[in-house]
Amino acid sequence: MDLDFIASLDFSVAWRFMPSLLQGLWTNILLTLIGFLIGGLVLGTIFAMAGIAKSPFIRWPVWAFVEFWRSTPLLVQAIWVHFAVPVATGVPTTPFQSALIALIFNVSAYASEIIRAGVLGVGRGQFEAADALGLGTYAKWRKVVLPQAFRLMMPPLIGTTLSVFKATAILSILAINDLMRAASRISSHTFQPVEIYTTAALLAFAVGLFITWVGRLATRRLNRGFA
Amino acid sequence: MLDSAFLWKHSDALFSGLLVTLSILGIGGAIAIAGGTIVLVARLGMGSLMRRLAVGYVVFFRTTPEVILIFWAYYCIPFVFGQRLTGFWAGSITLGLIGAAYLSEILRGGIEAVPRGQRDAAMSLGLRTYATWRCIILPQALRLSVPPFVNYFTEFLKNTTLLAAIGVGDLALAAFTLGGQTYRHFEFLTAIAILFFLMILPVSIFARTLEKRQP
Repeated sequence: MDLDFIASLDFSVAWRFMPSLLQGLWTNILLTLIGFLIGGLVLGTIFAMAGIAKSPFIRWPVWAFVEFWRSTPLLVQAIWVHFAVPVATGVPTTPFQSALIALIFNVSAYASEIIRAGVLGVGRGQFEAADALGLGTYAKWRKVVLPQAFRLMMPPLIGTTLSVFKATAILSILAINDLMRAASRISSHTFQPVEIYTTAALLAFAVGLFITWVGRLATRRLNRGFA
Repeated sequence: MLDSAFLWKHSDALFSGLLVTLSILGIGGAIAIAGGTIVLVARLGMGSLMRRLAVGYVVFFRTTPEVILIFWAYYCIPFVFGQRLTGFWAGSITLGLIGAAYLSEILRGGIEAVPRGQRDAAMSLGLRTYATWRCIILPQALRLSVPPFVNYFTEFLKNTTLLAAIGVGDLALAAFTLGGQTYRHFEFLTAIAILFFLMILPVSIFARTLEKRQP
């Protein structure tokens, strides 16, 4: 290890460019939020429901779609979307839009598996008991199935949120102004890559820890009065 | 839609990209298995200082985005360690270190899933520590670890594409370069997406059948 070099590190440069780094980080957080809410919760639930549908004409296309998005790297997906969407629709997308589309579908594929497992993890007896009590479809799902399914889904869904956040850093390949892009711009401007990249890594690590912490809190809350 | 003759003409470049991807997989995988074992031993079998270090290692490498770690390794290792490093090695080692954190957690999960009664039974039979681990705990723990291990393998394979961002000529970079040269990004990207799909889908289906077979 080059101790002289480490002693000569000057982190004031990271402090000076902190606003740009934080702005980049905010882009990552924004992408994570949109990806998780629209991709994970909304589309994920739709795909999960379609995945347990009775008709094979619904089930099989959804299965193929989900497997495709789960089995290819996000880096390839993002660039693929950026070139394929204009060809397919005739509407050119900005890098940010392409990145968001790829992220949303990617997250929805992972989340749909988790949500499906959560719903299927609720015992058959619970469904039958709700039917035996004469509950309607709405009450059955709202009062019996979903509260239990949520507790099963929560830990893996938080794992997904963390993965989504980590994945947003990949999207910098499409030239969107996220943390990675800000860091590489600043480091090639100041010639102090060690200070800048170390700061960027620590910032991202802090956000990741925060997501983990929120998740643990939420899981504990949902489990209150159970286990 | 896909011009197969055109793709075939460039299959050499794609094939050498595939070889680079597989080498990253091999080197990173070896580091991950060796490192994961060391981290696990530090976490379970040593003093509290080593345990804390191991926990910190796992948390850091599992929480920080892979791309940032790869960029850090590529741009900062030459300065900090005074050691020149190609993108290929910087990236493979980084992916290996990340993999070590995940693998140690997978193995730990397997060990903790072995019922306590097994350990008690081994003790009441008078087995020593070594025999208990060698004959009772590890065989069961490893079997429990196989499905998540196979699952992580697919994640690892997908992560190899991240090295394209630091200029390693893997499958993804081969496709980007060819796309740039021929202005036919769409075809090359679709080709490698299908290639990844064909490599990963069988593995993940295999992992799921393993998961189902377990009690």
